[in-house]
Amino acid sequence: MFGSNTQKGKKLTPFRRKEARAFYLTISPWLIGFVLLTVGPMLYSLYISFTRYDLLSPPEWAGLYNYLEKMPNDARFWQSLKVTAIYTAAYVPLEMIGGLMLALLVRERVRGIKVFRTIFYLPTVLAGVAFAVVWLLLLNPRGGLVNLGLKAVGINGPRWLLDPDWALFSLLLMSFWGWGRAMVIYLAGLQSIPGEIYEAAAIDGASRWDSFWRITIPMLSSTIFFNLILSVIGTFQTFTNAFVATDGGPLDATLFFVLYLYKQGFDLRNMGYASALAWVLFVIILVFTLLIFRSQEFWVFYAGEKTDE
Amino acid sequence: MKKKNLFIGIGALVLASLAISACQPAATATGFETDVVVLRAGTGDSGEGLNPHQSIIADFEDQNENVLVQLEAIAGRDYYTRILTQIAADRAPDVMNIGDDAVPSFVEKGAFVPIDACLADLEFDSSVYLPGLLEPGTVDGELYFLPKDYSTLAVYYNKALFDAAGVDYPQDGWTWDDLLETAQALTEDTDGDGQNDIWGIQLPANWTTGFEYWVAAAGGSLISEDGTSYVGYMDSDATIRAAQFYADLYNEYQVAPPPADFSAFGGGNSEFDNGQAAMRIFGRWPQAGMLDNPNIDLGVVGTPSDAVEANILFWGGFGISSTTDNLAEACNFLSYYAGPEAAQTWKDWALPAVTSVAEMPEVADDPLNSVWIDELDDLKPRAYTFTPYWNESADPALRTALETILLEPDADVAAVMGQAAQDAQSALDELLAE
Repeated sequence: MFGSNTQKGKKLTPFRRKEARAFYLTISPWLIGFVLLTVGPMLYSLYISFTRYDLLSPPEWAGLYNYLEKMPNDARFWQSLKVTAIYTAAYVPLEMIGGLMLALLVRERVRGIKVFRTIFYLPTVLAGVAFAVVWLLLLNPRGGLVNLGLKAVGINGPRWLLDPDWALFSLLLMSFWGWGRAMVIYLAGLQSIPGEIYEAAAIDGASRWDSFWRITIPMLSSTIFFNLILSVIGTFQTFTNAFVATDGGPLDATLFFVLYLYKQGFDLRNMGYASALAWVLFVIILVFTLLIFRSQEFWVFYAGEKTDE
Repeated sequence: MKKKNLFIGIGALVLASLAISACQPAATATGFETDVVVLRAGTGDSGEGLNPHQSIIADFEDQNENVLVQLEAIAGRDYYTRILTQIAADRAPDVMNIGDDAVPSFVEKGAFVPIDACLADLEFDSSVYLPGLLEPGTVDGELYFLPKDYSTLAVYYNKALFDAAGVDYPQDGWTWDDLLETAQALTEDTDGDGQNDIWGIQLPANWTTGFEYWVAAAGGSLISEDGTSYVGYMDSDATIRAAQFYADLYNEYQVAPPPADFSAFGGGNSEFDNGQAAMRIFGRWPQAGMLDNPNIDLGVVGTPSDAVEANILFWGGFGISSTTDNLAEACNFLSYYAGPEAAQTWKDWALPAVTSVAEMPEVADDPLNSVWIDELDDLKPRAYTFTPYWNESADPALRTALETILLEPDADVAAVMGQAAQDAQSALDELLAE
């Protein structure tokens, strides 16, 4: 941990101990904040998840009731898992591919390209609520720009956020503005690929297609990995768009997991159950993250690491 | 070595300064040298609805120079949730405005304090109110809330659209069949694109409270009189008839514009305000705005009857929260906020609760207001009066049921209401068992 000088099992020398002290002192502001503001509340919420608690009276112990009885029998719980799973399964690949496409486009050395980079990234910086309200207006079935535009070309647009069959898809459409985040990271990754490799490949007669699949993608794999993790963790926790634009409706078609958790905790004041839901989500995301980490060795290539050849 | 010490020293200094800044108590406004008392007033009104609040508060502050009142407005359903969270955190506003349907559950949770005593100290005369209007604010014989205003339901209609279509204005004593006929005569597709441009009546979509009128007019009730059973009531024949008629207005006869949104952030339907719907059933609150609206030549008529003539009462009141630190000052403000002087301002927003203001010629002789007041003769009890758990157990189930029958034209209304009754019942049983 303190560099390659320490060996397992050996006692730390006074110098090492001093170094250790300095280390902890340096990170202490962060560490204290982390313990008090993150780990502490997490453990408290774990405790609460084993109780029934409505904020006004003290929590009463309920054991595994929330996990074993309430959750499996709760239809809305399963619905919210389904909604979140479908949305994540759709959004993550689209963001990965879409972000990469945008990054490839803005990588071109064209005049004014920096303006486009800014434009594509801008939605990520906007406040989520304002963003969602704007989309609410755009997707208004009768007066919104989207349906008016479709009407102009003769199509009667669907009722978007008010139609149980279209609502999730509408949210998906809305979220494409978020590709900017992935784009910027891919751009950084692309720019770190040395140009010489492409030249060498071109000399060897590689086509554009080949050089994309055999050079760009493998060199980018660590960036792809990073984006994948961030995307999965973030998308499982989608909340703002659903809360503002549809509030889980219509008819629970967009009842995302975190939104359902929020409703249980703050609308119905079932804090215990909401905490249990939060921990279930934590475990689900943890499992996916670990799986992706494990899969690293099969497809992620870090430039400079030793290979078996 | 010296560098390391310096480094550690700086780190310790950073730590210390963080600790000190975190430990400082939150600055309170009353920590000032002058004895200014700051009261916080909470309300669920929004937009234009805040204007009367603000003007009354300004008047109060002029008359009481050592008191400042901060208005905290939170629109939508989140308002009640927010109050409870604030009560739990011991930081609720001193004076809060809530609707009558929330009174039993809030009082049961200990969120408000009885005000008989502090009002007596102020020599406040509670007989200034119209008879019966202190009742919604009284629980188990103790007064918790002073009335702000009240309203019934009625049907607004736009004379301009009626004249253009050559349809007679609706008359008091009309029935659901008359309503359907009138609405059908008025609904038309003026530009032939297959979508209606003028609608017969704008309905309030999934508004559960408004739906109680339809059930009452069909002769039904959503809950048993002892407040323990939804099954047999929420799925009774009368209720199903009401729900079916309501849904048919949207889907079968298509005389009502589809719901604009179910979101708290959207604006709701706007067809009536835009002169695209001939009628609208709602409470008194938007009337002032409609009178100023050039698209509307306003008329008001009582609600149509089915099995019986029915209407429901909406009532808003002010109470003092149990977390207040300034009971006397809050009580003083309360007596002003809900008192005769402020009623002059409230009367433009809904019907005034204070007798002297209600009897003023401009209120009593106003042809529109008399319609609202006459509807008081047909009042049926609201569902919340039968159980303090209405909001938690039945409201979500009923809202889901309404959304289902509105959004799914093929839905079996009887089955949907049956499901709602079951869901509400199990929620209620769980709450009663605690």
